[in-house]
Amino acid sequence: MDIKTKAPDFELPDFTGARFRLADFRGKANVLLVFNRGFA
Amino acid sequence: MAQLRQHYKEFEKVETVIAVLGPGSPEAFATFWRDNGLPFIGLPDPRHAVLKLYGQEVKLFRLGRMPAQVLVDKNGMARFVHYGHDMADIPSTEEVLGLIASLEDRGHEDNAQRGEGS
Repeated sequence: MDIKTKAPDFELPDFTGARFRLADFRGKANVLLVFNRGFA
Repeated sequence: MAQLRQHYKEFEKVETVIAVLGPGSPEAFATFWRDNGLPFIGLPDPRHAVLKLYGQEVKLFRLGRMPAQVLVDKNGMARFVHYGHDMADIPSTEEVLGLIASLEDRGHEDNAQRGEGS
């Protein structure tokens, strides 16, 4: 993905089950997405 | 992850939410969060749907998924994208915080040009 392009919206439950939707932060906060290898 | 935790308050000050995604199960995330006292949002992606959507790299001979970071601004635009080439290839928090500060400055300039803000 390239900078200055629209970040694709997505929705996932967090590990507590609460809903997270990227678009919900529009106009409110920046979001730093950190992609990890997992925590197995 | 330790660096991000250490600087978490600074991210809060510049209105930035940190969300960590990975391929593990919710239970694995919960254990890691509890053991490390992490304040961020943790998003398990066991189907790899968002990991693929954002193009996180997988290198079979380098033990799996490579780290990546994407900063999404308040308009939903990607303003910083970093795909790591190995597990240690992670941008410094100072670099990311500096970039966020420059976005904020630009936002204030835009508002001033529109005759908004203080």
